[in-house]
Amino acid sequence: MTTTSDPGAVTRAPVPVPDADSAGFWESTRDGVLSIDRCTQCRRWQHPPLEACRHCGQPTRFEPVSGRGEVFSFIVVRQPTVPGHEPPYVVGLVELAEQSGIRLTGVVRAPVDAVHIGMPVEVRLMPVGGGEFRGPEFVPVSR
Amino acid sequence: MSVAIVGIGRTEYTRRSGRTPRAMAVEASRAAIADAGLTPGDVDGMVTFHVNDSCQPTEVAWGLGVDQLSWANAVLGGGNLVADQIATAAAVIEAGLCRAVIVYRSLNGRSGHRLGTMEGPIEVAGEWQFDAPASWLVPPQWFAMWARRHQHVYGSTCEDLGQIAVQQRAHAVPNEHAMMRTPMTMEDYLAGRWINEPFRVYDCTAEVDGAVAILVAGEDIAVTCRQSPVWLLGSANSQGGSGWSAWDDPTAMYARTAGPQLWNRTGLRPGDMDLACMYDCFTYTVMATMEGFGLCEPGQVGPFFAEGRATYGGDVVINPHGGLLSEGYIHGLNHHFEAALQLRGQAGTRQVQDANLALVTAGGGPYGGANIYSREHP
Repeated sequence: MTTTSDPGAVTRAPVPVPDADSAGFWESTRDGVLSIDRCTQCRRWQHPPLEACRHCGQPTRFEPVSGRGEVFSFIVVRQPTVPGHEPPYVVGLVELAEQSGIRLTGVVRAPVDAVHIGMPVEVRLMPVGGGEFRGPEFVPVSR
Repeated sequence: MSVAIVGIGRTEYTRRSGRTPRAMAVEASRAAIADAGLTPGDVDGMVTFHVNDSCQPTEVAWGLGVDQLSWANAVLGGGNLVADQIATAAAVIEAGLCRAVIVYRSLNGRSGHRLGTMEGPIEVAGEWQFDAPASWLVPPQWFAMWARRHQHVYGSTCEDLGQIAVQQRAHAVPNEHAMMRTPMTMEDYLAGRWINEPFRVYDCTAEVDGAVAILVAGEDIAVTCRQSPVWLLGSANSQGGSGWSAWDDPTAMYARTAGPQLWNRTGLRPGDMDLACMYDCFTYTVMATMEGFGLCEPGQVGPFFAEGRATYGGDVVINPHGGLLSEGYIHGLNHHFEAALQLRGQAGTRQVQDANLALVTAGGGPYGGANIYSREHP
């Protein structure tokens, strides 16, 4: 069975450029905590972040999340077209447990043949771009 | 006033043009103007869409010997804008702001920047910054992710995607303008190398260098032109805001809203279409949008192709030129060229018999639109 590449490869991945809306996300992940933008009034989560709630227009702030979720969909990258990871590897679109539709992409560190839709996973925050950022990856967990 | 496509032009499609996008846009535009029997001076508007890989309308106009335009618009964006640009050109003409508008797309899609790849080091700002750590940043990854979800929900298969690729290749074989003309079987398809599972290489568009120009004019001009007008009957767009991760249901694309809107606006039904040029940056785009536009029930596109319903003698001829998959990726504007050629009855050996109505779609995922063209005056 083929397994994905070593996690150290992530440091060659493209580097995010934070902005005023997203800075809190990247500051939090750098500190080892996954946080998602959340409305201070209606309490809905939103991603990608914005300074105001897309539903009610009230201010938002970043709040920590469990880091738990399910694989909503995934691909197995066999041909490298973007640098960052050694094929083959799995990119998962992971729906977070906190709210339906809040999804993050991340490499799923699991044997490529073992990944399936609905698989429970948990986030790991791995260095990106020589360590000034951390980005989400996911590992399988038991439900 | 009614608006029609009155002229079509294109360059040859190659892997290495050795030319500038401007030079190719000028050639395609001259061809469209000559096709209509008009002169460059008759053109007073030019529009295009691009991803920083092309040229400005004013530069192209200059190359045509036109020193000023009433409307010169270059929109940053992809194939989702094609139908919209032609419909907007029609609206501009109907509003009296222009009389004849060229919509063009010119790119060195193979020898220049290839949309499916990125080279490092890369910094990613804006909506895609969150996908940087996973290197999930290019269309062959986005669409594959969505296709996997469709397979999970509807049980569609890689062979279903293969049916689309194989049929379109068969359509391209007699098309002298197509890039990919070698006949392809399902075995050939399945033997293609993986790109991003569930996509193999033949699920992905054939990148090319080249240009297409579509000349649009009002009825006053259209009835004087050399070719039969191809009338724009209606248009609908649905440009989604939620991107590739947050879109609620990747088994359905923009077509789920643009489709019903288009049929409501035109009073037509999917079964009225003689041909459909379905935007096909990837095979899965054809699958999801055929479902969304009501040409086929969800999950049944594979069998639809396998049973011969998507080709000559079937329900509707899908991409008779081979589509972007096999003719080449002129970012979807070549679909409108093909529809005009078919409705004029000039498609030669691949002519769809008695072609009167054509659906032409544009875009994929959250973003897209479609036009319906008619041989008969509305």
